[in-house]
Amino acid sequence: MRKQVLAFLALSSLGLWAQDDLLAELNAMAPEAPKQFAFATFKGTKLVNGSTVEMPGAGVGQFIVGHRFGALNDKPLYNLFGMDVAQIRFEYSYNPVAWLNVGLGRSSGSKTYDGFTKVRLLHQSKGGKGLNSPVSVVWYSSMTLTTVPFTDGFDHFFTDRLAYAHQLMVASKLNDKVSVQVAPTLVHFNLVPLASDRNDQLGLGFSGRYKLTQRMALTAETMFRQTPFAGTHMPLSIGLDLETGGHVFQFHVTNARSMADPQWMMQTPGSWANGDLFLGFNISRVFTHVKPKELR
Amino acid sequence: MKKIFALAALGLSLMASAQKLTSKDTQVHINASTPVEDIDAVLNNAVGILNTETNEAVWQLQIQSFTFKRALMQEHFNENYMESTKFPKATLRAKIGGVTDWNKPATYKGGIKGQMEIHGVNKDVSIPVTITVNKDGSVSIESEFSVRTADYGIEIPRLVVSKVAEVVKVTVKSTLKGA
Repeated sequence: MRKQVLAFLALSSLGLWAQDDLLAELNAMAPEAPKQFAFATFKGTKLVNGSTVEMPGAGVGQFIVGHRFGALNDKPLYNLFGMDVAQIRFEYSYNPVAWLNVGLGRSSGSKTYDGFTKVRLLHQSKGGKGLNSPVSVVWYSSMTLTTVPFTDGFDHFFTDRLAYAHQLMVASKLNDKVSVQVAPTLVHFNLVPLASDRNDQLGLGFSGRYKLTQRMALTAETMFRQTPFAGTHMPLSIGLDLETGGHVFQFHVTNARSMADPQWMMQTPGSWANGDLFLGFNISRVFTHVKPKELR
Repeated sequence: MKKIFALAALGLSLMASAQKLTSKDTQVHINASTPVEDIDAVLNNAVGILNTETNEAVWQLQIQSFTFKRALMQEHFNENYMESTKFPKATLRAKIGGVTDWNKPATYKGGIKGQMEIHGVNKDVSIPVTITVNKDGSVSIESEFSVRTADYGIEIPRLVVSKVAEVVKVTVKSTLKGA
């Protein structure tokens, strides 16, 4: 009996080897593993106020609502930690193709309209044939138009209301948990507060995320500025990303209350040192307008 | 006697190199839909190999090849559920039963016994299949079966449990041809 069992075991192990041989043959048949592109470098197309290298997929649109409440140090109990007053920004963007994202937004702060474009230049990858890139590179440009009346008593051109921001976002998903992004930034203001202020402002944006769990991540973003305007401070935001299927919820605390690009990048009046902090959140929802061709 | 038997078995498995059929365009459709959300994905580049002498077969697919209707679902599938950078492939090692003659055109209701590896977890499986030996000598294998995500250590959080089915329907169509 025992011998029979042994024989059976020997046989079944032979069978197993045969299958492993088959597997080896299979791998020889399809030797090249496909190139793997980094995905979900960040959970959202924005981290807090700043953009990330992420964009919705081809044929997908995304709606984001952003809220920034009042200052935490402005009668916090009376104003319920700023909850009684809020600024709001809506944004809708669309990817006609995988590498291009275009969108429009409107922020209640300074009643600012904006339009933006993201172009993916390089996608982080590994494996497969050909060269791999350790980073993803995305070009980002936006234009803002403020529509609050001027209160300085001077006549103004329409173009005085315009400002532009350009960023070269370079990001890397270092591992499952940690992603970082560096973004050399140029902001151009058609109108600056003082004649001695420069219209072109240089900055260097830093963003990072650390995944706590599969669906929760800590985030932070800031922007170093070369020639800051008088009375402005470096923006610094710390956030928590929560992902629930189709939505990403981003909660944060920041000294940059404005959500329009040139304003949060270069014109943040409050500072962490003074406790000029604001609670806020972004909620995003994606809509698939064009299905991938495999599923049409 | 037993030695002869073992030798014969060894000989058989060595001899077996002649009769191999392969597929590079096996279609796999997965469906984890719930009343709340349609979740399905396809791929058509799974590879398979069948040894008709030993009735053994192996199929393998790249998790990242699945295309979803919603790009975000595809991202979540890879990032949160399958962890496809860590576990890029799924494999089925199979022994096919129910076919009496691989050379005569006919259709058989058969079965597969073997091991399925998904998400780095190996499990014994038993799957019903329909096997058709075609006139040109190729073999078509079709199957529909269910995969319980928990069996493979794929966690579906309570927050989305109403949106993502815990038992995923899998449909496979594979046509294996001679060289």
